[in-house]
Amino acid sequence: MAQPENATSAAQSGPYDWIGSSVPKVDALDKALGITQYVGDMQMPGMLHARIRWSGVPHAIIRGIDTSEAVKVPGVRAVLTAGDIPGINRYGLAVQDQRVLADDKVRTAADPVALVAADTEQAAEEAITKIKLDLEPLRPILSIEDALDPTAPSIHESGNLFTRTTVRKGDLDQGVKESDVIVEETYRTHLMDHMAMETESSLAYMDPTGVLTIITSTQYPYRDRRQIAPALNLSMNKVRVVQAPIGGGFGRKDDITSEIHAGLLALKTQRPVRLVYTRRDSLIANTKRHPMLMKFRTGARSDGRLTFVDADIYGDTGAYLSLGAFVIKKAGIHACGPYDVPNIRVDTHTLYTNNLSSGAMRGFGVLQAAVAHESQMDQLAHRLGISPIDIRLINTLKPGLATGTGQVMDEGCGIEATVLRIKEYMESHDLRFTRS
Amino acid sequence: MTKKRGLGVGSMFYGIGYGFNRADIGSAYIEMADDGTTTVYSGACDMGQGIMTVVAQVAAEVVGANIDTIRVVAADTTSTPDAGPTSGSRATFVQGIAVHEAASDLHDQLMQTAAGMFECEKDELEAHNGDVYLKDANSPIASLAEVAARVHLLGGRCASWGWHDNSTADVDPATSQGDAYASYGWASQLAEVEVDTETGHVKVLKIVSATDAGKAINPVAVEGQIQGGAAMGVGYALYEQHILDEGVPRTDSLAFYLVPTSMDVPEIQCEIVEVYDPKGPFGAKGIAEPATVPTTPAILNAIYDAIGIRITDTPATPERVFQAIQEARARGEFKD
Repeated sequence: MAQPENATSAAQSGPYDWIGSSVPKVDALDKALGITQYVGDMQMPGMLHARIRWSGVPHAIIRGIDTSEAVKVPGVRAVLTAGDIPGINRYGLAVQDQRVLADDKVRTAADPVALVAADTEQAAEEAITKIKLDLEPLRPILSIEDALDPTAPSIHESGNLFTRTTVRKGDLDQGVKESDVIVEETYRTHLMDHMAMETESSLAYMDPTGVLTIITSTQYPYRDRRQIAPALNLSMNKVRVVQAPIGGGFGRKDDITSEIHAGLLALKTQRPVRLVYTRRDSLIANTKRHPMLMKFRTGARSDGRLTFVDADIYGDTGAYLSLGAFVIKKAGIHACGPYDVPNIRVDTHTLYTNNLSSGAMRGFGVLQAAVAHESQMDQLAHRLGISPIDIRLINTLKPGLATGTGQVMDEGCGIEATVLRIKEYMESHDLRFTRS
Repeated sequence: MTKKRGLGVGSMFYGIGYGFNRADIGSAYIEMADDGTTTVYSGACDMGQGIMTVVAQVAAEVVGANIDTIRVVAADTTSTPDAGPTSGSRATFVQGIAVHEAASDLHDQLMQTAAGMFECEKDELEAHNGDVYLKDANSPIASLAEVAARVHLLGGRCASWGWHDNSTADVDPATSQGDAYASYGWASQLAEVEVDTETGHVKVLKIVSATDAGKAINPVAVEGQIQGGAAMGVGYALYEQHILDEGVPRTDSLAFYLVPTSMDVPEIQCEIVEVYDPKGPFGAKGIAEPATVPTTPAILNAIYDAIGIRITDTPATPERVFQAIQEARARGEFKD
């Protein structure tokens, strides 16, 4: 296998003063010494502590929320429900399908229903347990199969199939005809939490000029501002969002998490309010990694060359879209892997369910797709008696070849170089596959 | 022998940034004070992976300053311009170019003033590590601080900003054909596992991660991403699973939701591959997600290599692997 021309030339090498140098991270020393202040470390005079009451059931009509006992807890300064929201009770990254606080229905077991701000975290915690929910259960949609059932009740007005995307290239029938071996398999991936070391947290206060300031664990302050201002009926230039030092994001903090809730409580109480999720809050609420059902059929000739990929990918985005449609579209665009595949049919389906909602998480749909396409490559290799390394080298994209969406590769196509690096490592360490 | 070893490979490509017509911008302000210290107002969030450090390195390189004189102010709607989110492995790739543009313009302003000070053309000058040199000369003719003080004294502009749009057109709605992303990340990993056929427990013995960084701006930071990415992949492949019971999360504490500990994460061999990407700053591209994607398929393929059984549902928990072994035993397809 010839070395790709651009692998040996590698990066233009400078000489540089700083590029390519492992200078210490600018924030490393403060973190190592424990000096860094995360939101959970921040204090302000008169600061209140906030807690959230979650719905606890996946799908129900809200008949009533009784906060009368909660407001009596000593130290409680505010107990808020949907009716207290001054602006639009809708937000979301791609479509506005999320409620700041649940109003008509609950759609997941982790829908926020009420907020409490109190002098102490203990008082806030006690108050949320005293909020009584009167919920009328609805049939929940709990699986991809349920969501595909056209007779199932709709979670949103749009129906449970939010969107479908299609990848088409070449002639699938021709690809099947040219195949000497075809592997057909169904893969299922699971719901995963981001598990950032720092949980979601915001500190909100009105600054002396009347600007609502929210210091928060976010990945994008400007998009937070875009979503916070309409919900709180503020102009966007009267909302300041500051990223605090944060302990990991992994996609989770792309979405609104604690920002609107902390801001709403600060606006209502005119006091600084700090909302720091407990680990339980973080585990149950906000977005996760999409579970996917992936049905793949992949063909190859006896020489190992791929002939076609024929796949359906179903993604469970839970009750709220977040970036789900983009995640699942990206899974479809990457379904053929880093390989030259002449004939392709891939359909993706983004489905609403009453499970916890999923959104951006490190890999953004490509990880799930890779579980399928790489398992398929391995199965083809074993059926053809070709090593897993060689079947990849035979098919990897190279300058001049095109991705599944027809994007022609030029400079910067490094897949062959990475496979060769693994091959060299195996050879130099005398590592051999057991079964090929 | 109840313990069987196997090797598996996983490869992937990953569209860097947002692709398909989603806004994908970077932007930054930069200014140099009279004493030659520089502040970069960068909208990109650092989540611990090091974009603030990358921003400082790019600014220092392009301005010609010492890195210790660079301060980065990050991600505040009142002081930094909108640089898009830090996600999609895009921050270095997109924001790096925006900072490069801002720093280039500031560098030009400084060299213009220095040219006036020393009666030469600005193209005859360059700056390194806080000093200004005539090109190819060994001794500096001035410090950047002296030049900056001069710019301020003359009322010149000692500030700039840079903006970069990485957005791409959408793919065709019917066929998804088109240039979906400005660029792609590439990675392959090798996993070595040991499967206990009595318990179904899978232990990962080693991971080799070959990840294409284009150009590693900060190799230790790249290694951090590779180590963390592989550890997260081990968690996805074997442990971390949210279990819902009729839609209600039962794994609502770390007692039930298992994450890999240092006992479960093997030695991770970092192989930084550098295939220059002309669209990135100094040839660099994102590696955050490429560093985690191949781990799970590599482990699943290694389990097959060890025991000849393909696990198609994640995660490969001991229960699932043991059950698959039992089923294979019942079919007479498994040799202990």
